Amino acid sequence: MRRLVVLAMSVLVTGAAGAAATPPAGAATDPNVHVPPAERTTLGNGLRVVLVPRHELPLLAFELVIRSGGQLDPPGREGTASLAADLLNHGAGKRDAFAFIDAVEGAGGSLDAGAGEETIRVRGQFLARDASLMLELLADAVQRPRLDAAEFANLRERHIEELKAAKDSEPQALLPAYGRALLFAGHPYGRESAGSEASLARITHEDVRRYVAESFGADRAILVIAGDFDPKAMKKAVQQSFGEWHKATRPLPPLPEPAHLRGRHVLLVDAPGSAQSYFWIGNVGVPRKYPQRAALQVANIAFGGSFGAMLNQALRVRAGLTYSASSNFGRATVSSDFAISSFTQTPRTADAIELTIATLDALHGTGLETARIDSARRYLLGQFPLAFETAGDWAHAFSELEYYGLPDTFYGQFGSDLLAANEAAVRTQVALRFPSSSDLAIVVIGDAAKIRESLGAFGPVTEMPLASPEFSAR
Amino acid sequence: MHHSNASALLGALLALAVLPAAQAASEPATPAAIHSRGAPPMTFADAGRVVRMRTLDNGMQVIVWPDHSIPAVVLYNWVRVGSRNESNGATGLAHFFEHMMFNGTTRHAQGEFDRLIEGNGGSNNAFTSQDVTVYQAWFPRSALETVLELESDRLANLAFDPQVVEKERQVVYSERRLRVEDSNPALLEEQLQATAFIAHPYRIPTIGWPSDIQSWTIDDLQGFYRTWYAPNHCTLVLAGDIEPEQAFRLVQRYYDPIPAGPETPRVKVQEPEQQGERRLTLERPGQNPLVMMAWHGISATDPRAPALNLLQTLLAGGDSSRLHRALVEQQQIAVDVGSGWSEGFDPSLYLVSATLPEGGSTEAFERALDAELERLLATGITPLELARAKNQESMQFWRGLATLDGKARMLGEYAVIHGDYRKLFTAPAAYDSVTAEQVLAVAREVFQKRHRTVGVLQPPAAAAGQ
Repeated sequence: MRRLVVLAMSVLVTGAAGAAATPPAGAATDPNVHVPPAERTTLGNGLRVVLVPRHELPLLAFELVIRSGGQLDPPGREGTASLAADLLNHGAGKRDAFAFIDAVEGAGGSLDAGAGEETIRVRGQFLARDASLMLELLADAVQRPRLDAAEFANLRERHIEELKAAKDSEPQALLPAYGRALLFAGHPYGRESAGSEASLARITHEDVRRYVAESFGADRAILVIAGDFDPKAMKKAVQQSFGEWHKATRPLPPLPEPAHLRGRHVLLVDAPGSAQSYFWIGNVGVPRKYPQRAALQVANIAFGGSFGAMLNQALRVRAGLTYSASSNFGRATVSSDFAISSFTQTPRTADAIELTIATLDALHGTGLETARIDSARRYLLGQFPLAFETAGDWAHAFSELEYYGLPDTFYGQFGSDLLAANEAAVRTQVALRFPSSSDLAIVVIGDAAKIRESLGAFGPVTEMPLASPEFSAR
Repeated sequence: MHHSNASALLGALLALAVLPAAQAASEPATPAAIHSRGAPPMTFADAGRVVRMRTLDNGMQVIVWPDHSIPAVVLYNWVRVGSRNESNGATGLAHFFEHMMFNGTTRHAQGEFDRLIEGNGGSNNAFTSQDVTVYQAWFPRSALETVLELESDRLANLAFDPQVVEKERQVVYSERRLRVEDSNPALLEEQLQATAFIAHPYRIPTIGWPSDIQSWTIDDLQGFYRTWYAPNHCTLVLAGDIEPEQAFRLVQRYYDPIPAGPETPRVKVQEPEQQGERRLTLERPGQNPLVMMAWHGISATDPRAPALNLLQTLLAGGDSSRLHRALVEQQQIAVDVGSGWSEGFDPSLYLVSATLPEGGSTEAFERALDAELERLLATGITPLELARAKNQESMQFWRGLATLDGKARMLGEYAVIHGDYRKLFTAPAAYDSVTAEQVLAVAREVFQKRHRTVGVLQPPAAAAGQ
């Protein structure tokens, strides 16, 4: 079984090989994960550096975050940051595109970048013996990317074609792009950072060059390296590789708090001939630094974040309407989205949406039973440590702490926070942070001719074709 | 799959070679200044020394990899049944069974399995392939007994409530719509497989043909359960915060009472040699044309398997690979090119698949792909390419070793698919010793035009434009 599957398995990406220190016997009763010690420094140019030595395996992982992202894309040219990110490993420093990727993969390593609304993240893993090569390639990628014109033209076309291909193969994956455009209209979070077919087509090579020249800089960046290295030597090498990086020139605009959506808004994305309808139901959620995160997560696990959750039980287990129904709170500097996502066979579309809304009403009405809250809390306590096994897991965790300015205790005390999230605290989060069913953005991708009429019951319907090169009907 | 929360390739999971240091293919050896400590590097054999295996009296294999780095355990129960063991009119049964195994026993009502596992801090899932059905759980050490009680219970006491069966039928159909019917690449691959195999059950789509999903009976299900679900057809792997002896004692307490099942029917049919190219076209709405080519290949235990895996890596493993570079970057004739094979009990297909830009010519793509493969066979591979592929394999091995999940998965794959878990620990040597000539030899064997099936999906709009 290799690189090809008929039925892909799902992975709760677990990692292993462990926390830096073996927990003492009886540690099973300690609810907290052991956070490895980290060394933090800030270089003279403002680059924040976090080093997390872990010696279990001869591996290195890094994550470099640049505060930038789609929020800085020129108007109507969404996807500029995403193209800039993708170009970083297509030629940098003394290496052209082929030489660069040959160097990365020749060592068995990886070095990839992508853009979100607020950031560009460069991530990678190398064998420990290749630490110098890794730093050289990473430093070149972010400080001396070639941004070659021919590479730009090729990548732009590929990004456009990949969006089209997703419409032919995984319509469900596109729901958030439509949903967020509807929910965050006029806000930076409503601009799809991957771009749309139309916005990508408008981006010029000069747009990308200007984006990198103005928005990249040491004072906007965080570099985390985790794994098997000597901290003193690594610190020196990082200073040598990144100490001369310039500062960014373009000011970062403030991110306003998005307004909650009032009333119901339905967007129907017509996919003629599709076998199922895919739907997304959401409103504005909470910011990353939301102080009651533990209680909120317990509530979400109980409502839509696990197999035994209310949503999955109602739509899948009891009604047999779908293979999957779930909910999630997004994570960003200001309030991101709360979204429910599911799908069902075309003739049952309205039934499934109605049942989803009824389940949300039940959450607010009869509420979460004590047993459900206890179970969700134990589920999180049990699953949380499995997310912190590898150097890559910790590189990401520390980049999150630094980027969002979360307290050091955020991960290390999360188990205790979960234990402290009592029933009352969890129910308070339900009341405060889960939307009322009268205020919802609803997106449905499906065969409009067969479902158009039935969707009117959920609110005023706007319609657009899946084949449209944009993610919003406007 | 039982749950749907993510998808990652079941492939790409095999254990890989540990190679001597400083093989960075296109780079001079870098100074080791930043490298930590002077300790000798861990070897794969070292890592595996703590693994223990026991076979219970009822024939169940139990393998334990103790690892106390976090207070958690990962369980994989490999049942040796997949869509390969199905027949006409009853396709998709193995996968449907995977779903039914979560739906209640004579001791635990429907829903209790998930409720008890999640309530004890665990999560679970399962997947089905052509060869195996695998049940997985990730849980805190404290939940081990609960998990073993539930796992052993559903192996012995499954319930078949007609109402539950009907609901699950709808759930599975929804999974089929999601994965196959609303996905052009998946539909094309399903047709390709059904065309490339005419006798061997690898022609069967694991999720099942629609009419079969709609027509299984309770009797079909009960017969399937009695035939395949018995401890002697299972390999149970545990990785994590537990000692082997302690694990064996617990497993015996729950599994010893379950009697061995009868011998299972063997898959005797062998695919007759294909004697000429087969072609199929799929007419579907969509934006991007697709091309897939499948050649009859080898089985997992074929000694050429490491060479074929290295070939796969240098053809399509990463952006520096041959096919990606030539067809996506240089000629820009495809948006994406992938390649791979399913390591199974019987010889399976080696597949190359491509997504073309809207309006792209499938004929031009086929010519370009043929030219690349001919170039490979004519001029061979470079030492640099081979070193790169070996380094990529090595990295994947280390990354697999980095998690409890990776350890449980790799042990199970070697124990079940390759026939002996200890082969995992000799795999590094097997990969390391592969020569460029061996890679080329397996390429010559596989890439024969008369052994291939070509599938093309051409959306109507693009066809009209040509």
